[in-house]
Amino acid sequence: MKQFLIFIGKILIALLASALILDFGYTYIYSSSIGRNKVENVINTNNKKFDVIMMGSSRANNHFVSQLFIDKGYKAFNYGISGSKLQETALMLQLMINNDYEIKNLILEVDLNINSDSFSFGNQAKYMPFITTNSLVSNYYQNKLSDYNYVKYIPFYRYIKYEPQIGFREMFFSLIKRPSNSLHNYGLFPLMNEGKNMSHDLTDKTPKRNLSYELIKKTCKENNIKLIVVTTPVCENTKGIDYFRKINTIYPEILNYENSVVEDKYFSSCGHLNYEGAKLLTSKIIKDFF
Amino acid sequence: MFFNSLSFAIFLPIVFLLYWLVFNKNKTTQNVVLIVASYYFYSCWDWRFLFLLVFSTLLDYFSAIMMENSSSDKKRKLWLWLTIGINLGFLGVFKYYDFFAQSFAELLNGFGFQTNPVLLKLILPVGISFYTFHGLSYVIDIYYKRITAERNFIDYSLFVSYFPLLVAGPIERATHLLPQVKIKRHFNFEKAKEGIYQIIWGLVKKVVIADSCATYANAVFDNYESMNSLSLILGAVYFAFQIYGDFSGYSDIALGTSKLFGIDLLKNFNYPYFSRDIAEFWRRWHISLSSWFRDYLYIPLGGSQGGMWIKVRNTFIIFLVSGFWHGANWTFIVWGLLNAIYFLPLLLQNKNRSNMGEIEMGWDLVSVKTILNILGTFTLTTIAWIFFRAKSISEAVGYIQKMVTDLHFKSEYLSNERHNFELVLLVLAFVVVEWFNRSKVEPLSGKASWVKVTLAIMALLALGVYSDYKEFIYFQF
Repeated sequence: MKQFLIFIGKILIALLASALILDFGYTYIYSSSIGRNKVENVINTNNKKFDVIMMGSSRANNHFVSQLFIDKGYKAFNYGISGSKLQETALMLQLMINNDYEIKNLILEVDLNINSDSFSFGNQAKYMPFITTNSLVSNYYQNKLSDYNYVKYIPFYRYIKYEPQIGFREMFFSLIKRPSNSLHNYGLFPLMNEGKNMSHDLTDKTPKRNLSYELIKKTCKENNIKLIVVTTPVCENTKGIDYFRKINTIYPEILNYENSVVEDKYFSSCGHLNYEGAKLLTSKIIKDFF
Repeated sequence: MFFNSLSFAIFLPIVFLLYWLVFNKNKTTQNVVLIVASYYFYSCWDWRFLFLLVFSTLLDYFSAIMMENSSSDKKRKLWLWLTIGINLGFLGVFKYYDFFAQSFAELLNGFGFQTNPVLLKLILPVGISFYTFHGLSYVIDIYYKRITAERNFIDYSLFVSYFPLLVAGPIERATHLLPQVKIKRHFNFEKAKEGIYQIIWGLVKKVVIADSCATYANAVFDNYESMNSLSLILGAVYFAFQIYGDFSGYSDIALGTSKLFGIDLLKNFNYPYFSRDIAEFWRRWHISLSSWFRDYLYIPLGGSQGGMWIKVRNTFIIFLVSGFWHGANWTFIVWGLLNAIYFLPLLLQNKNRSNMGEIEMGWDLVSVKTILNILGTFTLTTIAWIFFRAKSISEAVGYIQKMVTDLHFKSEYLSNERHNFELVLLVLAFVVVEWFNRSKVEPLSGKASWVKVTLAIMALLALGVYSDYKEFIYFQF
């Protein structure tokens, strides 16, 4: 039996050593990668200067055409991320400040994502490789992750928990430096199709006070960033369109661009403008503010 | 509690330590620990079904004694059929009632009679098909006087409820397992080490191979109408490896776990995808079930005695029943039928036992023929798996139809956000590892075992699928 217990001990040592080696390897690779997604691009670069950046969910990522700003002579980039909630957006902005980004204007899409203080598991995952190496990421998630200690201190646990997003496949693509399309078009992901039979229901959604949004406002104020907060359009056949008006009862400063593009031919799906629609929306914002 | 869960990783060491260090006085204390652990293990799914397990144990235990004590053959036969009837009755109610009621109603509706069958919609007790067959083999063996009835209820209870095999086999025989539980087990380091190797390899098969393949196979099967030929072929291949990795992985963990307690279970898989014909495949796949049907159905029906017609009839009965055993759906029946059809040419030419020996390979034409036979057998098996995986026969037929008519072989992006070909390398690597270790129980033992174990652990950590938890497929049977 003693022999067996020693054998099991060796297996456990092999397990621990494997986890440590893999954890170190994965973290090293992600810390050297800038071409796979916007999060690692922000964390692993510094001293960037922008006249305008755009942030938010897919309704920012698909809606704000950076090229139109660039054509006007502004240095611009769309940092919107599909699925992202304001919790991740707030962290990304703080990371930019921490890495000495100079930002003059931030256009923030705030509409459906203000519905709750929730987070996006898939986007949260992209920050996890840095939880042991970046104190800002670590501190940010200390009170937000229920299994923070497991994620931070158990080797390789985070890569197992968030395996679809930062597991072997993503690590391998980062290792071979295979670029993704998330950084193409100055961050815009244009939708090219025209939607059919679109509808959406917002009647069960209510805008609520959002702490992450307030953190973004505070960060902008402290760093002299002009914050332009906008809602973006939804298709004609949307129930509960009153939702956009209700947003202003909580945060009056949010500008309503929901009805700035109305025709369904400008939509790819009910919640997402196609490229033509995105150009119309962006042009209106440029006209109003730049 | 699943073999690949954290709760099992806590449960197993506790039972192991209690078994060897605290209750190691004699075989009775050892057996009691294993029975309590087994009942706890089973109750983790649904404690309400414990009564079925207890009832089945009591029924078979007392029937066997009554059968043995009976003075006449008539009474023995009565006890046998009573036990078989009740056991199969439970299986019928829980597993097959809704299927028969619905199929009958559809038949009547086809003739213009409108019927609304009363469906029970019962939850299938996990492992019921396995422990029912387990118990049946025991009473049938008693009836044929191959063994004597077990009088020690504790020993018999452990034979039925032993947790490593309780929910998905292997389907044990009293002649193999009972003698082992009737003696005190002494700790054997080499056997326990083998067990650990087998558990680790079983986990690799399940978590790395089966669960990875599952994400791709599901993405293809769930959207087969919009997939091209390449995706559909790969989807079927991925499912073939999913079900193999899943079930043989489970069996490896079961056998390995049992070795930790000093008990050997029947081998359930022997590298089935390296079979040179369908008959060999069925000697290598789910061996404990195939041999069960051979011994308790095929041979009593006359087996290969008698004319060719009897052989063909018995073969079709075996495969159809085997298909039906897997589940109450026509897809399983067609799967069984398809395998019977594959088997038929071998039977008619008396070649069903021509590939009994080990696979020998060299640089000659015979080896080329062997490889082609292996690929041919795998192709036939994979086509049959499409029926096994599909939700309905029309879906399976549609899948195959699209696969052979679409004829586009481009890379496709699947709904799991992966390209259809991305897993091919992993599957090939797995095949290569299995091929070069086909004479062993698992590939980790032998030379450089620590390097191999460490690589297996790394594969488990880095390549395992943990986000989308998948149950073992055979638990549903």
